[in-house]
Amino acid sequence: MTVIQTEGITYYYEGAEKPSMDGVSITIRKGVKTVILGANGAGKSTLFYHFNGVVKPKEGVVKVMGEPVSYRRKGLRQLRSRVAVVLQNPDDQIFGQTVEADVGYGPRNMKLSEEEVKSRVEEALFQTGLGELRGKNTMQLSYGQRKRLALAGALAMKPEVLVMDEPTAGLDPQMALELMELAEQLHNRGTTIVISTHDVDLAYAWADEIHVLKRGKLIYSGSSEDFYRNPAEVHSTGVMQPSMFVMNENLSAMRGTDPSPYPRTESQLVSKMASGPKGRLTLVAVKSAADCNIERFADGTKTGVYGTAVRRLVRDAGIKTDFGFNGFESCIRECLAGRDSVLLCDEDCIGLAESKIRDLLAFGSDIKYTISGPDGSQRLS
Amino acid sequence: MSEETQMDTLAYSSRMLSWAPLGKFLFVIAILIVNIVTSSMMVPFVTLAIGLSMMASSTNFKIPFFVGLALAEAILILAIGSGMISITGDKADPAIWDTHLLWFDIYMTHESFNKAWLVMFRGVAGMSVMISFATSTPIPHLSQALKQIHMPREVSELIVLIYRYGFLLLERMDAMWEAAHCRMGFNGFMNTMRTTASIAVGIFTSSSNLADKAQIALDCRNYQGYFPIYNTPPRLGIKWIAVTVIAFVLIYLFGMYTEDWIDMAELFFGGSL
Amino acid sequence: MTDYLFETENLTYSYSTRQPRPSLDSVNIRIRRGVRTAILGANGAGKSTLFYHFNGIFKPVSGTVKYAGKPLDYSRNALSELRNDISVVVQNPDEQIFSATVEEDIAFGPMSAGIDKEETERRIQDSLFKVGMEEYRSRPTIQLSYGQRKRVAFAGALAINPKVLVLDEPTAGLDPQMSQEVIELVEQLCVSGTTVIISTHDVDLAYAWADEIHVLREGNLIYSGEPESFFADYSAVASAGLVLPHTFSINNSVQGICGGRAEPYPRTNSQILCKMLPEGSRAGKIRMIPVTDSVPDSGDEGISSGIYGSVTRRLFKLAGREPDFHFNAIEYCLMEAIGGKDSVLYFDAPLKDRILEIIGRMEAFGRKIEVVM
Repeated sequence: MTVIQTEGITYYYEGAEKPSMDGVSITIRKGVKTVILGANGAGKSTLFYHFNGVVKPKEGVVKVMGEPVSYRRKGLRQLRSRVAVVLQNPDDQIFGQTVEADVGYGPRNMKLSEEEVKSRVEEALFQTGLGELRGKNTMQLSYGQRKRLALAGALAMKPEVLVMDEPTAGLDPQMALELMELAEQLHNRGTTIVISTHDVDLAYAWADEIHVLKRGKLIYSGSSEDFYRNPAEVHSTGVMQPSMFVMNENLSAMRGTDPSPYPRTESQLVSKMASGPKGRLTLVAVKSAADCNIERFADGTKTGVYGTAVRRLVRDAGIKTDFGFNGFESCIRECLAGRDSVLLCDEDCIGLAESKIRDLLAFGSDIKYTISGPDGSQRLS
Repeated sequence: MSEETQMDTLAYSSRMLSWAPLGKFLFVIAILIVNIVTSSMMVPFVTLAIGLSMMASSTNFKIPFFVGLALAEAILILAIGSGMISITGDKADPAIWDTHLLWFDIYMTHESFNKAWLVMFRGVAGMSVMISFATSTPIPHLSQALKQIHMPREVSELIVLIYRYGFLLLERMDAMWEAAHCRMGFNGFMNTMRTTASIAVGIFTSSSNLADKAQIALDCRNYQGYFPIYNTPPRLGIKWIAVTVIAFVLIYLFGMYTEDWIDMAELFFGGSL
Repeated sequence: MTDYLFETENLTYSYSTRQPRPSLDSVNIRIRRGVRTAILGANGAGKSTLFYHFNGIFKPVSGTVKYAGKPLDYSRNALSELRNDISVVVQNPDEQIFSATVEEDIAFGPMSAGIDKEETERRIQDSLFKVGMEEYRSRPTIQLSYGQRKRVAFAGALAINPKVLVLDEPTAGLDPQMSQEVIELVEQLCVSGTTVIISTHDVDLAYAWADEIHVLREGNLIYSGEPESFFADYSAVASAGLVLPHTFSINNSVQGICGGRAEPYPRTNSQILCKMLPEGSRAGKIRMIPVTDSVPDSGDEGISSGIYGSVTRRLFKLAGREPDFHFNAIEYCLMEAIGGKDSVLYFDAPLKDRILEIIGRMEAFGRKIEVVM
C-alpha cells in the first residue's frame, strides 16, 4: 500500500536559478524501510518538506494515503499528525525549556487533552531513553541527547510515517546503532520509516528500498543492489558503493560464484566466507529484570541486549552484559564461531530476531535457537 | 533563501560589482540631490532614465520579490501622499477643483497639482537610483568603502561580522520556522505566540553559542586583532568625482532650461483653464 | 630518540570549577612527528579540548604541554608564532569562516601572518586548487553548500602552509565521495611532510588510515598505540563508546570459524579479500602511470582505470576523460588485481612511494601484486 506519493513535483526557492525539486514522482510504500540517498544539496530535505506540506510544490501533486494534500489549515493539521519530519540539526527543533516541555510541544499544538499529552510524552520519553532527563534544561543536553529529544518530539505526535533527515549524523557509533535499532522496532510496530543518509553502509544494511536523488531529480527507485551494480551511475550521484557490496562482488568474482544472495550485514557476509560448527542462540523475552537471570547460563556464555526497553532495564538493574549495543549481530558472531550466546530481547524483538536468523539460511548459516518466554516456556527452533 | 540572501546574491552577480563603491555612492547621492533641488519636471525623468539604465546594466532589472513588493508599497504611499498634496493647495490661488467631501476640504490649485506630480516623479526616480546602488553593492564592499574614508576600523569590522553572523542566524531562523511547522507550532493564536517566543529564544541562544565558538575559531586561525583585506575595492578616483560633478552640473542646467516645459495641470485640465 | 611533536604531562583541564569531572584528566599523550595519528573517542570525551591545548587556546589547569620538545609559551607573540605552525580546522565550517567571500577568507590566514600580496595570491590559488574550489573564488561564503563551506574552511587552513594540521571530524556531514576526496588530500599532505592529526568517531576511517591511535574516554587517555591492540580488547572499545571497525570484526569472525591466525590484521577490504584468496589463483597487475602536466594515454583498452591525487583528478576533468574508479582508486585497483584482472592507475607523481607502500602491504596478506611502471 502506498502511503506517500508525489506526481511530478517541481519546486524552486525564491531567487534560485535551478529548481531544487525537478519533476519528482516518488512512491513510498507502507511498511517498507525506505532510504533516500543523494549528495549534499541533492534535494533530500526539500523532498521531505513536501511530504508534510511545509513546502507546497509549484507544480505537481503530493498524495498522502491516496488523497491529494490539502494545504488548508485543517488539512495540514491532519497531515502533520500523520507524517512527522525530524530534521538533521536537533538545535533547530527544540522549542521547550525542559525535556518534558519540548516533547509535549507537538501534542499540545495539536490541542490534545492534557491527559493525552502526558501519556504520549511518557511513552516517547521511554522509547528514546530520556526518562531520567525529563526535568533537565534542554540547553544542558549533549548532542546525542538533543538528537534523541528531537526524535522523541516527533514520536509524541504518533505519526504513521516518520521521516528522519540524517538521523545518525554526528552521533557516536554506538548511539547510531541504538538509534537504528529503535527505528527497526518502530518499523516493526507499524510505523513507516523514511530516512535520508550519507552513510551508504548503514543504508545498505537497513533499507528495503532506496530512492536516489541527483540535483533535484529522482534517478532511481528500487532495490539497493540494482543501483550499486552500475558504478557509473553510483559515481554520478556522489555516493560510493557500500563496503559489504564491494566485498561480496569481489569475493564472488574471486571464487567464480554467483554474487547473489547479497549479504548486507557482517554476519551474512561472514556466513558466505566461511562456515563451521555453530553455537546455539538463546532468545530471552524480557518483561522485567527478573527475566534476566543470566547466571543460569554456562560460564563464559556471552550475552547481548536487543531492544530499547531491555537495554534500559539492564542498565537500571545493573546487570552486566557483553554486548550492550548491536546485540543481535554480536551474538550471531559468537554463534558463527561455534560458541553459544544469549540475547535478551524486548518481547516484540523476538519475531524480528527470528526472521533475521531465517535470513541467514540463504547465506549458508543455519543457526539453532531457543526462545525462552517470560513465563519460563521454552521453544526450540 | 531569505530576502537578505537574495539581495546579497544579486549584488554579487551585479555587473557593477567592481565599480568603486564610494564612487557609486557619491554619484547616486549627487543625482538624488540634483533631483530635488531643481524644480523642472524633466529632471526626474532624466534621473529615472539613469536609474533604470543602471538597473538594467547591473542586474537586468532583477529585484527580489519582497523588495519589489516593498517598492510597490512605497510607490502606493507616494501616490497617496502626492494625492494629498494636490488637494491641499494654497487658498490664495485660484482653484481648479474645489469641493467638500464629508469633513474634508478639497482645494486643488494649478500649483498644488503640479507639485504633486513633481513629488511623485522625484520619488519614483529617486527609488530607481537607490535600488540600482543597493543591488550592486554588497555590504562588505560598503564597509571597505567606509574604511577608505577613514571611518574607525572597528566600525567596518563590526559591520562585516554582523553581516556574516546575521546571515547564519537568519539561516537558523528559517530552519526553526520550518521545524515549528513540522510540529504544528502555528496551530492557533496561542501556539503561534509560544512558537515565535521559542524561536526568538533559540536564535538568541545560538547567537551567544556562535559568539563563543567563533572566538575559539578566530584564535585557531591566528587572529591578530584586525581583518586584513585582500581585495580592496577600487578607490574613489578622480574619474568618479569628475563624472559626478559633470552629471550634477549638466542635469542642473538642464533643469533650469526646462523649468516650464511640462505643466501637468495644463495637460490634464488644459481645456478648462 | 623519537621525535615527539606534542607531549603533555598530566594535562588537566576544566571549563569551570563546578564541573563534576574535569574535561581532561591527567592526560599524558605523545604525538609523533610525521605519523598518521587519529584521536578516537565518543562525543564529549575531550577530543576538541585536547586540540585546543595543542595550539595554546586553552591553558592547562595543571600539567604541561610541550611542542617540539619545548613547553608552550603563552605570551602573545609566541602563541601567534605557534599558530602559524599549527592549523586547527574545527568541525563546523560556519564557525571557522568569517569573511564574506571565499577569496577573502582564504587570504585571512596568510595576510594575518604578514605574508605579502603576491605570495598570498599564490597560496589562495594553490589551496583552492587542492580542494577543487577554484571556480568559487569570488563567491560569497554564505551562498555555499555545507560541503563547499567545509572545503573552504580546509583551504583556509592550508593557506598558511602549516607544519601540523589538526582536523576535527573532517568527514562529518560530507557525502561519501567528498569524504574520500578529503582523505586523499590528507594523504597528499602527509606525503609532502605535514603531520596530520584527525579526531573522529568513525572507526572505519581511523582504522584504514591511521598508523597510531589515541583513545579518549571521559577526559582520560585510555589507549595509545597501534590500532589492533586496542580493538582486540572489546570491552575497552565498548566502554569508550566506539564499535569495532568492520574489517577488524570480519577478520576476527572468519578466523574464529576457520581457525588460522588473526594476524596480519587486514585494515582494508582488499586486504581481507587477499587473505581469503584461494591457493594458486592468478593475481592481476597494476600499471602505474604518473601524471604531471598532461593525461597520458595508457594504450590499454578494456581494462579498468583509476585516478589518485588532485592534479590527476583535475587533468582528467579538464580532458573530459572518465576513469572507472574516481575515488578510493588504489583500493579498487587492488581488488581488481586480486580478482585476477589488470588495471591501470593514474596518479600524482609525488605520491608514488606511498602508493607502492600500500600495494606492497598486500604481500603480508599472501599475494604479491605486480606493478608495472
